Amino acid sequence: MRSSALIHNLRAISGRDAVLYRAEDLMLYEYDGGVRKHRPDAVVFPQTADQVARIVKLAAPLGVPLVPRGAGTGLSGGAIPVAGGIMIAFSRMNRILEVDAENMRAVVQPGVVNQTLSDSVAHLGLYFAPDPSSQKACTIGGNVAENSGGPHTLMYGVTVNHVTGLEVVLPNGDIVNFGGKATDSAGYDLTGFFVGSEGTLGIVTAITVKLLRRPERIATLLGIFETIDDGAETVSAITAAGITPAALEMLDGWTLQTVEAFCHAGYPLDAGAVLLIELDGLAELVEEQAEVAREVCLQQRAREVRRAKDETERALLWKGRKNAFGALGRVSPSYYSQDGVVPRTKIPAVLQLIGEVSKKYGLRIGNVFHAGDGNLHPLILFDIRDPKQLQMVQDASREILQYCINVGGSITGEHGIGIEKRDLMPLLFSDDDLSVMQSLHDAFNPTSLLNPQKVFPTTRMCMETRGPAAHPVLAQEGM
Amino acid sequence: MSATEVSLDLVRELRAICGEEYVTERTSPAHQPIAEDTVDLDKSALRPSSSISVAPGCSEEVAAILRLANDRAFGVTPVGWAADTLGPFGPTGVLLHINRLTHVEHYDHADLTVGVGAGMTVAQLNTMVGADKLMFACDPPLPKRATIGGVLAAAKQGPLRHGYGAVRDFCIGMRFVTGDGRKAKGGGRVVKNVAGYDLMKLLIGSYGTLAVITSASFKLFPAPRQTRTFLAEFATWQGALKFRDLVLRSPLSPMCLELVSPGLRKLMRPEVTHDAWVICVRGSGSDAVLARYRRELGSAVTRELDGDDEAKMWRAIEDFPRSLPIRSFTADRWCYAIINVPISEVGAAIRVLEEFATPDGMGLITIGRVGVGVLLVAYRASAADMMAKVVEAIARQISRDCSIRQHGPGKVFPLTPTHLPSMRAVKRALDPNNVLPGKELF
Repeated sequence: MRSSALIHNLRAISGRDAVLYRAEDLMLYEYDGGVRKHRPDAVVFPQTADQVARIVKLAAPLGVPLVPRGAGTGLSGGAIPVAGGIMIAFSRMNRILEVDAENMRAVVQPGVVNQTLSDSVAHLGLYFAPDPSSQKACTIGGNVAENSGGPHTLMYGVTVNHVTGLEVVLPNGDIVNFGGKATDSAGYDLTGFFVGSEGTLGIVTAITVKLLRRPERIATLLGIFETIDDGAETVSAITAAGITPAALEMLDGWTLQTVEAFCHAGYPLDAGAVLLIELDGLAELVEEQAEVAREVCLQQRAREVRRAKDETERALLWKGRKNAFGALGRVSPSYYSQDGVVPRTKIPAVLQLIGEVSKKYGLRIGNVFHAGDGNLHPLILFDIRDPKQLQMVQDASREILQYCINVGGSITGEHGIGIEKRDLMPLLFSDDDLSVMQSLHDAFNPTSLLNPQKVFPTTRMCMETRGPAAHPVLAQEGM
Repeated sequence: MSATEVSLDLVRELRAICGEEYVTERTSPAHQPIAEDTVDLDKSALRPSSSISVAPGCSEEVAAILRLANDRAFGVTPVGWAADTLGPFGPTGVLLHINRLTHVEHYDHADLTVGVGAGMTVAQLNTMVGADKLMFACDPPLPKRATIGGVLAAAKQGPLRHGYGAVRDFCIGMRFVTGDGRKAKGGGRVVKNVAGYDLMKLLIGSYGTLAVITSASFKLFPAPRQTRTFLAEFATWQGALKFRDLVLRSPLSPMCLELVSPGLRKLMRPEVTHDAWVICVRGSGSDAVLARYRRELGSAVTRELDGDDEAKMWRAIEDFPRSLPIRSFTADRWCYAIINVPISEVGAAIRVLEEFATPDGMGLITIGRVGVGVLLVAYRASAADMMAKVVEAIARQISRDCSIRQHGPGKVFPLTPTHLPSMRAVKRALDPNNVLPGKELF
């Protein structure tokens, strides 16, 4: 099959205006929120699961890689088409198929934007809990692929805790279902297994998610500390007081100044760190917990503990937190976001290590992270145009992640492995661990048709994965 | 070579792996009578017909046993406390007991995480973490016997399911040996972790058909400092479910929300003279919080329980169906099914059960975890054909989202919305030689 025939067939499936193949159009799809790039050979915009299945059946016999993409806000390169091929972009599969308020469920297509779902059910007093910082842009399909988190996952869990059913197109083109609207389902939990599999097992075409009832009361506190150490020690002190906040976020002093200059959230400019603490639930309970949290902060040498007076003030505090990455992007040509996780009690030690790494490499590192669950996001500023700096950033990141592993943590808490961390997998997993994952990968996606060269270390892929390194049919056409 | 010689050979090899004292050969008959008054329901069904039992002391030994099983083509059935994983299956091949795997891998009370061997019991774990005012938020039947491995393999749950989620929601890591003998892990020790495939999700509720779980890590929760239970009685289940809806739409976040059927209530409290469906709401918190519960629940509440009375009532509910009195130990034993439906379909499922209920065998002996759409139904083994009709009726009359697990005659998963060939593909990937049980699953 010639590539022109492939484009023709993709158009026949999804419509004339639903296929991109010119270089200038494809450039928009060569990157995500991370630092790696690779251009797809074509982009197709299906509108139905049936179209996705037909695209899979078209590509499979030709061995053309298929890479699903939501909004491209991912930070691990999960949607980068490293082997070229066809990118399946879900921006036209963006319908909320059903809102079932009685069962507190919604069924959505993968291209529905995270925030849009919450906005659409707000009049019912409901919302979708996973809230990545990119929630105004990122899609629920992308959240499912990466098992995304967000600040409020401390109490409510990550995406997998909010998905009860999936419709999936398998690499053979079959459209199948896992789970449904019921909270639990008998049988192997393939819903849970597919969430976070980064598009390497199947292509999700519909998602049944839980909706939660909006809490009666929300209290948002800002604990202001002179030093980052005091703020860090307070995290486990709050937990030890028997409180599980809905969210417990931390920003260091330098990040505060940068964020404040960008979005005027009302953060103090002279603090060493702040903790953003949110409590929600029954009014009586929230008031009691807010008082306990305030006392714990003061015992841990907080200079001041402010409480948002109203929803406007609360929204402003969160605007600062959620725009922190963008704020740092204003002061540096590039930044590299890490996603390591440590046990909560190790936060003070890992922050010290990050400070030492910053000095060692001469790199500015801002800290803004989900302190309550030990999920760090050191943001390393650099200039991607300088290869030496990029190498230093990668070396610095590896030191930080190695430390996370050494203290019992992980290399990713919510961004996924993608291509960015695939070669760090052997630091965390043994050969047997990876071989079990590989067996399961091959049970569903034996030729690596779907999202090749992701999750698994490149050494393993060279040995065991039979996916194409680059697609010859499209390459010969210079596409 | 005769079967006896094969068996002796096998015993020698297993003893070489685990040590002399941890491999036993059973020569007694398959079924032994047990006392009428015991609450240990499953013993009658689970006297092993298998002749060899082995109790490995570490995951390396588990892996060696499974590799041997693949080489020698014999089956292995993982066993926690006898009924944990074996419940749905006939005991075949070598019984692999996990009860020696009781080590603590990690425990940091300030971090609210713990990792323990699969053979540790739920009661042992709760004793350990309870000293730090923490709790393992899964309350399966008979916690002094229920092992962590069994809880995970059978996706066991108790009333805390309503307020704290299922064990899948707070299991953060797992070590296991696959059916083909690979020693592996998924997840880790931290509460947030998306590195690699979520293998825990696959193994939880797989009934030991994919791998033998050797240890697991969990999130812990602060133990409630004060609880109270509010009981509301209704003449019909329709009335009870209306009250459930009121609770679900309120700002309350109860730890437990259970529906007890009249049939079960009579068994639990033989002195009661009238039939009633009872909704049990367990709240926790300060006096002010509990006062708010009282106000929100209103006049429908006819009794409040705290202290020993409250603990005793919840123990009976947690232990269901193993708290049911035993009438005999052979064909007429109690079986049970777990029916999962969307919460709006709980009433429809109860209606189906009513349709097929019989006074003796398939009565409405039911607990409804009605806030999350789970019904636990006890029935006599002699009423298994009636249960099969219930499965058919639920499949026919209620939405495709329903599913059923049954611990009794027939398939373990007689009804599931999940694609069967995909499940079989997973089984082939981890246990290609069918060393572990599994034929009875689908």
